[in-house]
Amino acid sequence: MNPRRLRQDKSDGCVRLSGVTVRYGRQAALDAVSGEFPRGSLTAVVGANGAGKSTLLGAIAGSVRLSAGSIGRAAPSRLAYLPQLAVIDCEFPLTVRELIALGGWPEFGAFRAPGPDIANRVAAAAEQAGLSDRLEHFIAELSRGELQRALFARLMLQDASLILLDEPFAAVDAQTETVLIDQVMRWHHEGRTVIAVLHDLELVRARFPLTLVLARRCVAWGPTDAVLPAMGA
Amino acid sequence: MSMYALLVEPFATLAFMRGALVACMALALASGVIGTLLVLRRMSLDGDVLGHAVMPGAAVGYLYAGPSPTWLSIGGLVSGLAVAALAGLISRGRQRQEAGLVAFYLIALSLGVVLVAWRGSNVDVMRVLFGTVLAIDRPALFQIAGAASIVIIGAAVLYRALAVDAFDPVFLRAVGARAPYRALFQGLVVLTLVASFQAFGTLLAVGPLLLPAAAARCWPLGVVGLMALAIAFGLFASLGGLLLSYHANLPSGPAIVLTSALPFGISMLLAPVRWHVRYLRRRK
Repeated sequence: MNPRRLRQDKSDGCVRLSGVTVRYGRQAALDAVSGEFPRGSLTAVVGANGAGKSTLLGAIAGSVRLSAGSIGRAAPSRLAYLPQLAVIDCEFPLTVRELIALGGWPEFGAFRAPGPDIANRVAAAAEQAGLSDRLEHFIAELSRGELQRALFARLMLQDASLILLDEPFAAVDAQTETVLIDQVMRWHHEGRTVIAVLHDLELVRARFPLTLVLARRCVAWGPTDAVLPAMGA
Repeated sequence: MSMYALLVEPFATLAFMRGALVACMALALASGVIGTLLVLRRMSLDGDVLGHAVMPGAAVGYLYAGPSPTWLSIGGLVSGLAVAALAGLISRGRQRQEAGLVAFYLIALSLGVVLVAWRGSNVDVMRVLFGTVLAIDRPALFQIAGAASIVIIGAAVLYRALAVDAFDPVFLRAVGARAPYRALFQGLVVLTLVASFQAFGTLLAVGPLLLPAAAARCWPLGVVGLMALAIAFGLFASLGGLLLSYHANLPSGPAIVLTSALPFGISMLLAPVRWHVRYLRRRK
């Protein structure tokens, strides 16, 4: 909500935090977090409940106002943000096809209809997410896992250089989790910057090269091996 | 009684019935569109609040110029937009404060009644509370039709953004669409209510806005389908309600709102059957 403090970096995909502070009333949700997510990096953000993980993603996405500090990152059209599932209205009368097509919003905007190019990309993204047979269904009919797949398909359409995921694997079935993790790895190999809030530390150790541990302040930030030593080691 | 006498004669012979029908149909068109978006945004209570927020301004307009539709509208528009802005400030950032909204609407309603009763008669109070569908003259008709046209054109231009903003506002902001869509939408709601206020008064103005849309929402349709169904229900209620009030000698505003209870009741009873089937499938 505060574009003044969001500098649009030329270095596409890189995110620089300097002294990022967010307060809700007197309570500090984030306190002077500084550091850099390098371009093309894959970082897990972990921490206890209330550690400011979602706030950090919201701040980078521009939906949370900074109380102090600044964030340098890509232009909004190069950014894709998946908030926690609770934020969207799952009962809204929208079909899966329409939901995925929204990913092309920066291309068609508020006043034009999505073109045939978008339609092709919607079909391809749905295929990849395993939703080809669900395109004409309302999102209210989807299971939680299917809805998350549809939201991932929307992210694919956004073709962003910076992808922010807030607990993307929470409450989805195991098969969906596999599909979604594969997609995250594909984004990583395509050179996109991915930042994901996660709880499953085993998964973080296995698949995420970098980790940021938050407890309102930055507790540790670096290679996962160093930051999260294997349990029992 | 022949079908002609039942359905056509009241409108063929009486100019005030024709005026009322055209006004109600214009309102049904705008209300179907805006009411659907209100219901989808889960802002029904806001609609109610804004309906009463029109009242104090209309009352001031009335004190200034008597029962002139122009001054009622200007006053109502100003106080409606002011309350929309105030309510937006109150609910910003924090959890929605329903008690605050309800306080607004009670205060606005009382203030409006006190203002009108101060200078006017009981008849005037009844007019602002329940409207005068059957006393809509040519200037009032043009105002209602004009407001409805602006609302429909505005909603058509902003349709895509308003729909996405209702569904996933965080997404819309993240992709860089930062226009104040909520405020623009509330402006359209206030404009619809000001037009509706002329015909239905402050207590019933929300009825034609919300009842057809709430009835349509029971059915598994997309946004445009919901709007079309809400408009159809609204047109049915306008025609049916006016005929009911004519033949049974009932007050016309309440008769129209009562008639829209019919599609609402039928939808509530019948439509969920299909939804339940879909939800059962979703659970498995």
